[in-house]
Amino acid sequence: MESTFAFLNPEPVFQGSPHGGADDGYLRGLRVALQPSISVRDWPAEAGSVALSGFTALEDATVVQRLRQAGAYLRGYTRMSEFGFGLGGGEAGAALAEGADIELVLDLMGESRAAAARWKVSAFKPSYSLVSRLGIVGLIPSMECCGLVAPDLGTIRKTLQTVAGPDDLDFSLLDEETPDLSARTIDPAATTVGLIREAADGLSTERQEAFHTSARYLESRGFTLKELSLPDFALFSLVHRIIGSVEASSATGRYDSVRYGPRAPGARNWNEMYLRSRDAAFGTFLKSFLLQGAFFQFNRYEAFEAACRIRAQLVTEMANLCLRAEYLLLPTPQDTPPGPTVGAPADRPASLSATYAQFDSTLFANVTGQPALYLPPTADGTRPGFQLSGAALSDGALLSLGEHLLSDANGEEW
Amino acid sequence: MLFSERVFCGDLTPNDIGRQVLLAGWVDACRDHGGLMFIHLRDVSSIIQVVFNPEITPPAVCERAASLRSEYCVAIRGEVKNRATGTENPGIETGTIEVMATELTVLAESDVLPFAVSEKAMVTDTAPIDREQVSEDLRLQYRYLDIRRASMRRNLTLRHRIFQTVRSFLDSRGFVEVETPMLTMSTPEGARDYLVPSRIHPQSFYALPQSPQLFKQLLMIGGMERYFQLARCFRDEDLRPNRQPEFTQLDIEASFIDEEFLYELVEELTLRMFAAAGISLARPFPRLTYAEAIETTGSDRPDLRFGLRFVDVTDLFRETQYSIFRQILERGGCIKGFNVKGASSSLSKNVLQNEYAKEIVPSFGAKGMTWIRADNGGLESNIVQFFSERELQGLRERFGAEDGDVLIMIADPSYAVVTSALGRLRLHMAERLGRIPEEGFCPAWITDFPLFESTEEGGVTSSHHPFTAPDRTDFDPTDVEELLTLRSRAYDLVMNGEELGGGSIRISDREVQRKIFRALGLSEEDVRERFGFFLRAFDFGPPPHGGLALGMDRTVSMILRTPSIREVIAFPKNRSAGCPLTGAPSPVKREQLAELGLLNLNAQAATRGVSEEDGLDHLSWVSRIGFKAEERPVLVQGLDEAERLALAALEKAADIAADREPLYTVVRATGRTRPGTEPSRSELSGSGDLFKNAPSLKGDYFKVAGILE
Repeated sequence: MESTFAFLNPEPVFQGSPHGGADDGYLRGLRVALQPSISVRDWPAEAGSVALSGFTALEDATVVQRLRQAGAYLRGYTRMSEFGFGLGGGEAGAALAEGADIELVLDLMGESRAAAARWKVSAFKPSYSLVSRLGIVGLIPSMECCGLVAPDLGTIRKTLQTVAGPDDLDFSLLDEETPDLSARTIDPAATTVGLIREAADGLSTERQEAFHTSARYLESRGFTLKELSLPDFALFSLVHRIIGSVEASSATGRYDSVRYGPRAPGARNWNEMYLRSRDAAFGTFLKSFLLQGAFFQFNRYEAFEAACRIRAQLVTEMANLCLRAEYLLLPTPQDTPPGPTVGAPADRPASLSATYAQFDSTLFANVTGQPALYLPPTADGTRPGFQLSGAALSDGALLSLGEHLLSDANGEEW
Repeated sequence: MLFSERVFCGDLTPNDIGRQVLLAGWVDACRDHGGLMFIHLRDVSSIIQVVFNPEITPPAVCERAASLRSEYCVAIRGEVKNRATGTENPGIETGTIEVMATELTVLAESDVLPFAVSEKAMVTDTAPIDREQVSEDLRLQYRYLDIRRASMRRNLTLRHRIFQTVRSFLDSRGFVEVETPMLTMSTPEGARDYLVPSRIHPQSFYALPQSPQLFKQLLMIGGMERYFQLARCFRDEDLRPNRQPEFTQLDIEASFIDEEFLYELVEELTLRMFAAAGISLARPFPRLTYAEAIETTGSDRPDLRFGLRFVDVTDLFRETQYSIFRQILERGGCIKGFNVKGASSSLSKNVLQNEYAKEIVPSFGAKGMTWIRADNGGLESNIVQFFSERELQGLRERFGAEDGDVLIMIADPSYAVVTSALGRLRLHMAERLGRIPEEGFCPAWITDFPLFESTEEGGVTSSHHPFTAPDRTDFDPTDVEELLTLRSRAYDLVMNGEELGGGSIRISDREVQRKIFRALGLSEEDVRERFGFFLRAFDFGPPPHGGLALGMDRTVSMILRTPSIREVIAFPKNRSAGCPLTGAPSPVKREQLAELGLLNLNAQAATRGVSEEDGLDHLSWVSRIGFKAEERPVLVQGLDEAERLALAALEKAADIAADREPLYTVVRATGRTRPGTEPSRSELSGSGDLFKNAPSLKGDYFKVAGILE
């Protein structure tokens, strides 16, 4: 069977510690799988794209530097969708079945959480601006984030503590000090979890039921559930589609076949060189997204501004909900084909609309920059998978809630 | 103070010494000599030095003078004096006199200037002020300050003089200036139109005229007989140096005339225009047929200020053993060249072979170039050993080669490649060797253009426009080969390698016009739709007529020898067709678009099934993303979807509080600064790794395809 890794670290694993790490750092021996959108010096960081085929990274991304310093072992590059947009054509999460302890998955729309749902593991999308994006091949700069996919939350927390924090070279990061990411005790009796009623609108019956079962589960664990309303919930998708496509169309402007990337032969002048090389560089699916972005920029700029105003409104509304409940409960990402098999890439959805439909319950966190945690169902299916979220930069507390819920201590009746 | 007393600086001469005068203008420059204050006062006429001397000028005035800065607008009263010997300034016209100020009124102060306006040094030993250092966009943004400079004012004034000359000369010849509309129909000039939307007829457009061509012919049919107009024309063309989206053209048309009438008229007119700037030209202008011009200079707008005319040497090599020449001749090719007299010392073997033959000539479209240097009574070159003695002797005679000459030849199976590459090489070498005289104007008429050019589809298209008269009318409109032999009764006026204007005798016979349209492959219906109103006029006894148009911006620029035509236009557009002064072109309010029925044009067109594909092609072009034919349906569908998303977003945003600002990032924008670091050279650049991923390199540069074809 073909490996799920597109590229394996040529440096042999150190034979000495349980996981082979050489250092005695915080992450010693942790085997980390990376998507090829994250630059590792001398590795083929092709980001799942023809535009970068043959591209060799010149430097380590900031997150990679920090992983190395903490003693993690970089296992290799996995297969990813074109620039990580959606899951089609990639194998996000599959590396965990092939000897990786954690995989870093670019989260543009909810990819890390959806991949985790497919592989029945946990995923965490940190708050926007908590983790440096320097050295990461991006597509939607104001929404994308390095997601962490792993079977256990302890690994996710340690990895987050390692990679998070200021980076002088990433100007989109916070100025403030890194928030406290350490574990804390959760007292269910003093904790309110909000449930956004409209988040269930339009879901399949199974997902709606799972959503409500999740709520009952939280109640059974002693949490106070509070029903909240956000009539604009459906707008996350609209806003993401417009702003996302505009940013993607700008961000991909760099693939000009001059500094890197293959150049289509036979162009008589540089306009032709761009047209042909960029024709070959992008797949039809992504091209459609980029041309939509061009449409909003060149033909309908007012719609882009409108989307940015709606985004402002949504961010405020979500922040207000987080004042009424410390945490938010959200539905599991859409069901993906059952029975994941290593080496079988996910089917590419036929259209942008279908792709966005897959991410209907995850887009909110990319639009607002909030953290989001996906917890997998129990093996017996009694507790379904679901998402939790909280205010921006509440990452430490959100992970603690997840750890509390995954610990069996109080969960026998489930 | 009464401005009626005001005199011009430039009117003052030593004869005025002792006279009390009132001057008004701008402070060109100031110089403070510790109590003694000098300023250059500039008005439309000239500059004069004004002195504020505490011994003569009242203290209050001196105090005010001390606050003067460049470009303050002032009025000054004072007495004209002789300058002390040794303090004269030969750099200004009034350099032997000055005005001793007794009164000063500051009419308006000036902000600090974006660039220096003054062109005249106050003291003679300072370097002249360098205008080139000011960026042109900055000059255009503050054009009113730029126009305060004497050289710009001189350009505009001389332009006016030349225009006056044109008007009075043509008036004296019985021509009448008639204005034609600016808001009109698109005319068949071949460039893109500037469109003006009509409010009364929603989604219908006027076109701004590319030229008054149809109207001037209608004026002839209207019996005006002799018409001219200094007409503003508009063409939405791609960016090229020395082009303006709007330009001024001298448009002339006359009835019952032939070519000779126009040659005489336009030559006389040209003489007078140049004379207005003190330049004398000789008549008559030489005439070259298009074929001669191409044959001897490789250009239909030849620069005749220097020689380097082509010589054909094809026949000398009919039996050559030199395989490259032999193969080219076997394929029906030709060999032409020119003799660069006495250039062997400046054109070394290295320059000829490595620069010209290997780099420059291939960039002109020819495969190579042959060079031979005449020296010590013989001919030397890297290939001379392949030529027979008879061939060498033939070359020597044909080119009149003498010691020190360099012979340049280009051979190619295509006549067009040989002439065009050699033509560009001719200009390149003349420029490099300084063979183009600085002074001097060489006008010429180019005549007998081909009436048609062949198209890629195997048909023909008009070289000028379809109303140009052919040299004969007995042709078969379906015989493409015959059509390509037809000559037109068109003529261009060229000068120093530039086309100043052109025109033609027009078709005035309905039947001939029909044949031309048939030759162009236009159906009766096409013709009716595009030119119906115009052709209808030819049903009512049109007179034989013809005319010409001269590009006045270019002509004035040539007369004044300015580096660009923007120097002779008061408010030109910049190189990207924008106006840095006003900010035009600019977006307009939604209400304005709504009033014109221009909102949702795309959506409306899409429902008509017309422009959804235009939308995709346009966006593909602006984002430089090509696509395959089979991708089109998916991409078009994506754009339809985008339009629906746009409408949904606009509708939703209308419900949001008006003061809700768009959010572009979710990161709080407080104190977003970083400590400064020293700039340093990237290690990747030093190690060369920066180039590691580049698909194509040339030395230390990324290599790209040519910007132009």
